Amino acid sequence: MNQMNDDPRLDGIDLGRVWTGIASEVWRRHPGPVERLAIRLLRSPGLARALLNTPALLLPWLISTVVVLTVGGLMSLAGGEPLVWLIAPGIAAIGIAYAYGPGADPAWELAVSMPVSDRMVLLVRGVTVFAVNAAIGVAVSAVTYLATTHGLPGGGGHHTVAVSAAITFAWLIPMAAVCALTLAVAVLTRSASAGALAGVVAWGGTVLASRVSTGAFSAAVTDSRTYLPYLVVAACATALIGYTTRTQRRTQ
Amino acid sequence: MNIELTGVTRSFGSNKAVDGVSLEAGPGVLGLLGPNGAGKTSLLRMLATVLPPSSGQIRLLERDPGRTADRRDIRRRLGYLPQNLGYYPAFTVVEFIEYFALLKEVPSARVPRAVAAAVEGVDLGAKAKSRLRTLSGGMLRRVGIAQAIVNDPDLLLLDEPTAGLDPEQRVGFRALLRSLGETATVVVSTHLVEDVGAACSEVTLMDDGHIVFRGTPADLVTRGEGHAIGDAPLERGYSAVLQAARAAGQGAVAA
Repeated sequence: MNQMNDDPRLDGIDLGRVWTGIASEVWRRHPGPVERLAIRLLRSPGLARALLNTPALLLPWLISTVVVLTVGGLMSLAGGEPLVWLIAPGIAAIGIAYAYGPGADPAWELAVSMPVSDRMVLLVRGVTVFAVNAAIGVAVSAVTYLATTHGLPGGGGHHTVAVSAAITFAWLIPMAAVCALTLAVAVLTRSASAGALAGVVAWGGTVLASRVSTGAFSAAVTDSRTYLPYLVVAACATALIGYTTRTQRRTQ
Repeated sequence: MNIELTGVTRSFGSNKAVDGVSLEAGPGVLGLLGPNGAGKTSLLRMLATVLPPSSGQIRLLERDPGRTADRRDIRRRLGYLPQNLGYYPAFTVVEFIEYFALLKEVPSARVPRAVAAAVEGVDLGAKAKSRLRTLSGGMLRRVGIAQAIVNDPDLLLLDEPTAGLDPEQRVGFRALLRSLGETATVVVSTHLVEDVGAACSEVTLMDDGHIVFRGTPADLVTRGEGHAIGDAPLERGYSAVLQAARAAGQGAVAA
């Protein structure tokens, strides 16, 4: 490697240093306006870059997108069942954690040795997954609605419009907002755990408050028939989280 | 001392991958040798703060990696090349190294020059704008080394860094190691004893989770005198120490 080259000093000029300076200018990547804004908001160039390159990690992106859309589809099938609404974000979070964790991120081992917290990076990934898919969902909903109302091919009918709109407006957009709140609290308090707590409280509060209109505000926590499903879901979530963090226990 | 380990153990179920290891190291290049399953990678992962010890004390760069604030400070000054480093195929060489420079919290203004120095340091300037999916295995390994040195680390941990490098590149890499070891503590885990002989100021030999030898490469050569197994003096020393440790039931650290 370059250490083997001849001494690059010539008449007091360090040519190696000069060349490095030139190369750094040639290879310099100038952040765009979105990245500059993200750096300001997140107070971390590393987190900002993680946010922007989230969709570029193709396999983790595809896995997390499929998980998020599947959960959204199941929620729309489940109607207003509060248990489903309460646990759905947890399942989506586990899917994203797996996709951008040891499951599919090829450089995960390296990423967890970085000073920027891997939990903060995960929150950034979550915001991006929901926000980008919400934007796509809005576009798809608009296109299918226009195509259906004008009788154009590809409209898919009123049912397709309803499903697309339900997933987008009742799941992706609210979750993008909750994730953004989670990240904002995490950045302000410099604690991913505090951010996650804020997100859980915000989502739980929203779901329970929505029960007021049906007169079953407290059903999600007082109905004994929901206890067993809660325990089963908690056990599954614990097992999945254990699996997604399995590198800590991998034998070498 | 940049590395201070006292009675460090790491268990995976009933298997002790690292068993009561004590080790101190300051600036210089420390070669970590041993057969497969000796515990080298587990030890390196603990030094990289990726894996917590089951028991024992670890201090790195005079800080306690068990404390969050200390761990973050250690990681800023740490370079790590894992044994199985994955890559993001769509990234260019510069994008990949720059990404990890930012995650290492290298100040933004210094990142372009740090990335250029790292890329040039591993002689990948001609491929700086190439996508990682287009590079050979040896080139990818050099990308991994570049990301490890981009923050000018005080503690550099390299797991099988020369795997996939051709002989010319390995010679250059050893020179790079010697240069880095003048100011930093460099720990190199390898199966290649010739790398140790050429680049390392000290050698630690592990077997079955224990350190069974600590000394200079010359000490290891001395241990191999008269031993029949091995083609080169260092290989004979390696083989002799392992054989003696296994015969003695291990635990005897000798220099």
